[in-house]
Order: sequence, then C-alpha cells, then structure tokens
Amino acid sequence: MNDRVRSPTSHVRTLGDGRQILVRPLEASDRDQLAAGYAQLSPEARRARFGSAPDALSPRRLDLLVDVDFDDRCALAAIAIDEPGQPGVGVARYARNPRNPTEAEATVVVLDDHQHRGIATALLMDLVELALDRGITTFTATVMWDSADLLSTLRSRGAVVRPAEPGVAEMRIELTDANPLLRRAARMRSS
Amino acid sequence: MNTTVTSPSVTLSSNDHLLRPLLDLAEQHPRAAMAAVRVGDGYIDVSALEFVDRVRALARGLVAAGVGPGDRVALMAHARLEWLLVDYAILHVAGVTVPIYDTSSAEQVQWIISDSGSVLVVVETPAMQAMVEQMADRLPDCRRVVTIDGGGLDELAAEGAGRGDAIIDDRLATVDLDTLATIVYTSGTTGRPKGCMLTHRNLHTNVRQTLDALGPILQPGDTALLFLPLAHTLTKATALFGVEGRVREAFATDIAHLPEEFAMVRPTLICAVPRIFEKVYNSALSHAHAEHKGWIFDRAVDIAIRWSRERTAGRIMPWTAAAHRVFDRLVYGKIREAVGGNLRMAFSGGGPLGERLTHFFAGIGLDIYEGYGLTETSPTLTINRPGAWKPGTVGRPVAGTSIRIAADGEILAKGAQVFQGYWRNPEATAAAFDADGWLLTGDIGELDDDGYLRITGRKKELLVTAAGKNVAPAPLEDRLRAHGLISQAVVIGDARPFIAALVTIDESAFGQWATEHGHDGSTLDDDSTAKDLRAVIQSAVDDANRSVSRAESIRDFVILPRDLTIEAEELTPTLKVRRGVVEKAYADIIEAIYARSSR
Repeated sequence: MNDRVRSPTSHVRTLGDGRQILVRPLEASDRDQLAAGYAQLSPEARRARFGSAPDALSPRRLDLLVDVDFDDRCALAAIAIDEPGQPGVGVARYARNPRNPTEAEATVVVLDDHQHRGIATALLMDLVELALDRGITTFTATVMWDSADLLSTLRSRGAVVRPAEPGVAEMRIELTDANPLLRRAARMRSS
Repeated sequence: MNTTVTSPSVTLSSNDHLLRPLLDLAEQHPRAAMAAVRVGDGYIDVSALEFVDRVRALARGLVAAGVGPGDRVALMAHARLEWLLVDYAILHVAGVTVPIYDTSSAEQVQWIISDSGSVLVVVETPAMQAMVEQMADRLPDCRRVVTIDGGGLDELAAEGAGRGDAIIDDRLATVDLDTLATIVYTSGTTGRPKGCMLTHRNLHTNVRQTLDALGPILQPGDTALLFLPLAHTLTKATALFGVEGRVREAFATDIAHLPEEFAMVRPTLICAVPRIFEKVYNSALSHAHAEHKGWIFDRAVDIAIRWSRERTAGRIMPWTAAAHRVFDRLVYGKIREAVGGNLRMAFSGGGPLGERLTHFFAGIGLDIYEGYGLTETSPTLTINRPGAWKPGTVGRPVAGTSIRIAADGEILAKGAQVFQGYWRNPEATAAAFDADGWLLTGDIGELDDDGYLRITGRKKELLVTAAGKNVAPAPLEDRLRAHGLISQAVVIGDARPFIAALVTIDESAFGQWATEHGHDGSTLDDDSTAKDLRAVIQSAVDDANRSVSRAESIRDFVILPRDLTIEAEELTPTLKVRRGVVEKAYADIIEAIYARSSR
C-alpha cells in the first residue's frame, strides 16, 4: 500500500434513530462473529448477499471473508456499541476486479432486525472513501430485483442498473466527487 | 424513447361470451370441418355441428352431475379434442375450467384441485384417476372423477340425455363477459402455484386482439396442428382464435408422433414455443452434416437470413433472389416437408426465439409471429404481425393494450385482457398491480421509437425453459442443499430444453460418507466412489423433483470436481454464487449435458 493512502480508521456514527454504531475495519478475530451473524440472517438476506443460501458458511468461505488486506480486499464492520454484548450487525466490503484495478465489486449485508436504520448507508459511505483513496473509481454490484428499495436508492445516486440473469440486476456506480453519495459523505466527514 | 404505447381498442357486444363464435359457426356453417382427429393412419374431420352437439351433450351431463353456475371443474389432459369439448361444456353451464398439465406432480395436482375447490375432475387416463382417488380424502369439494380414456365422457353424456336443452340454454343465458371462465395455475418464485382468474371478457378480448393483428393472413382452408398442452394459455388462445378465425384444428396424439402427423395433417398454422423451432433447425442441420452437405446447408442458412433481412428492409437484391431460388429447391423445400410442406405461419411465445432463427424460418417460407404476454394477460400483450414485423422484438401492443416502461425498466400493462386477480389470494392480487392499476409483469424491457417491445431481462428469479415452462430455481436449490453431501447447487435451464443442476460436494461430509460406505480415503474421481456418490445425489435430486411437475424437474445433473472458487471465476470477488458466472465457468460441461440429451 502506498503511504499517501490513509489507513482505515474506526469511528462512531449516530443513526437517524439516535442510536450509535461503531464502524471499524473487519479483523481476523471477527471470524466467529461472521459465522454467528450468518446464522441469524433470513434465507432472503442470505440469498441476496451470497446468491445462494446454505445453512452455514463453510470454514473455507469464512477464511476468505476475513482475508482482507485493505487494498484489494477491504471490509468494514458495523458494531452496535449501545447494545448489550456490542454485537456486529453489518458488513460492507469491496474486492478489486483483477482485470480492471480501478473497479471493485461491492456488497453490504445488515442483519434483518437492523435493516432500514441507515446502517448500510453509513458503511457504504466509509467504504467509498477507502476505495477512492485506493484508486478505485467504480463500484459494481449485483442486486436482486426484489430489493426494490435498495435499487431505487442506488439509482437516485447515479447508479446505472441493468438486467443480468433472471432475478438479478447488475449495477455500476461511478465514485466521483459529482456523486451525491460522496457529497454527503464529505459533509459528514467535515462535520 | 417512448415509455408508453397504446393501441386503439377492439369492442365486444355486452351479451357476448366465448361460446358465441362456436354456436354461430355451427348455425351458419354446420358442415364446416372444425376439428380433425387421428383415426388409424389418417385424420378425420369433425364438423361444427357435430362438435357443438357433443359439447351440449356433455353440458347436460355436467348439469346432471350437479355442476352448478360458478362451480370449478378441473381438467387434466394433454391437447386433444375432448379437452376442448369438455372446456366448452363447462363454459356452457356457467362453470369455470381449471386446467392441469398432464405432467403435473401429485403434490401440484392436489393443491390445484383443493385450492380451486373443484367439484368435479376430468382426467385423461386411469393412472391419473388413481392418483386423484388416492388424495380423495384431502379434496373435500371434489365429488367425482371422470376418466376420458375409460369411457367416462360417454357415461356423463348418457346421464344428461334425458335432460332436454332448456336447462343448459338457461345456464348459458346467465353467462356474460364478466363471468369467470377459467382459473389457470402458475408457479411463482416461491410458494404454491397461484390461480389466475380469467373471465370471458379477458379471453374473448384477446382472441379479437389477436385476430385484429393476424386475421388478415388467414385463408380459407387453413389448418392448425395443436400439440402443446391446452393447459398453457397460449395454446388455448390459439384454439379459440382458430374457432373464431375459421381455422380447422387438428390434434396431435403425442409429441413422439409429431413428424408423421405433420405429414398427415399438412398444417398451415402452428402455435409453438422456441424449442420446437430449434428442433426443426437442429435436425435439418444434423441431417445435412451426416450427408456431408454441411457446407451447403450453412450457405443456405446464410442466404435465407439475408433474403428475409432484405425483404424486411423492402428490397431483395437480384443475386440474393437467385441464390434463394436455388436453395429453395435444394434445402428449404426439404425442411418445409419435415413440417408437412404447407406450413406458412406460426405463433411463438413462452420465451425468446432469437432474431437469427426468426429470419431463417422467414427465409424458407415460414413466417413466425413472436409475441409476448403472461397467463395473467390471456396471454397476448404484444405481437409481431404482417407489416409490423421486427425479429428480435416481441412486436407492438395488440389493439386496446397499453404498455409502459417503469422507471426501473419493468414492463407494465393495461388492457381488457388483463386478469381479475388470483383466486382467493388478495395479497398476491394486490402485489400484481401498481397504485395506478398497471399490471406489473416482472419482466424488464424497452420500447423502441416505433413502439416495438424488446424483452431484456426478468425481475423474478425464474428460469423459462425453451419449452416455455417457468421454473423457480431457488426452491429446487434449497431442497438439494438440504442434503448433507451437497455444498452448492446451481439449477440451470433458462432458454434450454430442460432443467439441469450443477452440484458441489461438501468436503468434510464427503470424508465421513466415504468412511461409512467403504470408500475410505478415496476421491471424487475414483470410479466406484463416483458411481455410489452419483446414486446418493440422484436420490437428493429425486426428492427435490417430487415437489414439481415433470417439465420443471431436474432431468440431469453434474457433480463438479471441486467447490466453486474465485480464482476460477466461478464466484464473484465478494464470494457471490451467480448463475451467469457459474454458467460461463462451466460452459463446456453445460453444453455436454444438453448435447447428450439431444441424441
């Protein structure tokens, strides 16, 4: 990693409902938490995140999920710090496209009970910042068409959405300063 | 780009219903050959009068059997004359037809009969009768099973013989355009099949809309060969179109006899799904190559396509016309002979046909009119037609139909052919329409500047086989993965002849299984291990298949040599299993699955 690149930092965000979450880099020691979080996900959420919904994540897959270098593979965790036990409630990550280093695939998953609280947005804003620092200018993602809310949010922020295989939308979003998502991220950073 | 296209409407008189065209035909042209059925080595005609007499005899029988106005009657049979007779008889007594595919699984049959509350079930074979009788205690509304092949229809007619005409005429007098005509069950991505309620208005409007588009190409003496299930709304609509358009309708006995029956019937019209056209093309191709005339065939294909493209553009170049004449003698004529020699028009629906194949068939003299619609829309919303024919698109909206593209690209529709909702399922009905009353089709598309619709994707996670069957892969995959040895399952088959699955084996479960079954220390590719493992996975596949019909079932599967990886680009960089990615990674294996079945 080049030294002009800022290291990912941890910080507390206050959500719309007044509750607080800690956004911090994912760590290798989060492996068990990831497995536990997966077990809590609904089949729909599992399918939306992984494209399939096995009963549990295999050990090999868990290894891959915690294998982050904060350059080509970057992951941020959302921790509900004002809840007992301070559980992890969401993860956003990107993985650089090996064929095109300015592009990365991004995903975000939030536990069903914590959805619609702005956690995904908070995670994504920080993820975008990290990505831009690392020379990534485009996020791609595959989203189930069933996730109508997510798709319309993304579209309103400049994402180009097109149909892929049945049930799946493919989206691209340019992470430029012109993007409203980033303008908002920048405002939050300076405040 | 337009986002809405609307066509001027067709009108129906208020006392109209689906039997009116049939009764008018029998009255005005009693001896007209309305249908034809196979007897021995040939086909014999059924006159309009004879057809209506049989419908009315069955209608009297239905009344005698206690079928009241609005009662549902289930009908499980392949496409045959009796299907249409029973359907019309049900409508004659103000009943509602509930079609069931002859390939449906017991689980589906039970659901459809019980959910619809059918009071009587007409089945084709003694085997189907046994299936329904076995579930009788779970079908509280069902009072009787009538078996076509067991002489059941004759018995039914005999029971009604003493009843006179007044009772069925009075019943018919209560039928109007808003009477429910049929409930057609369709599978969604999850849950049980839902019953689409279609009224006489829905179906009758759609027949008129289709006639408005395609009626001008019909000629006296036209004959249709019907071979797809009449439970499919496209086939049923074609049958109704034929009655109103004065087309003689011949019934194929089964798909295996199709080649000889094409030769006997020499149809001018068929209604088919893309798979049928692909088969005709592929069989001509393989014959040509077997006779070492592959290069001639390839050249003939190019010329047919060029000829059609030039014709569509308005000018056929002299050289193209000359080459076309040569290949017509050498190649095209033989392909036409394979489908009886007289076939000049076809309706295609249920899936994308492809621009190339459409031009190829047009080039050999068979105009295929590809359309688009859903069971929920009776079924046609848009269709290509003479003078408005653009291969690669599904045509313009039929008369009285509005098509709109929503902000997210979804195709929305309005028109008198759009259904009334799902039977006893207000939640699903509410979810089918937006706030302004537009039907949400679940398909994604574009309208071009000339008002042609192009289908570009599907919002629902549904595979549509080349035979036009909707299959939800997720429940099948979930059932497969429920087996301990399976780590991943990817069900494929979109635009393919059948459904297949790719599975990966869970490493740790495999180790344990191998130890327990005397394959200790062996690997997936040891012959005897592979054989035993395949048998185990086959049982998981059989189990998954029990929930679906034969057309939706997994017909073949491949055990992949190892789990999916990012490195091999079978998973996306963030570890998503995507059907498209897996299909690309295993393209060769997938081609092999479909190649071995076509031999």
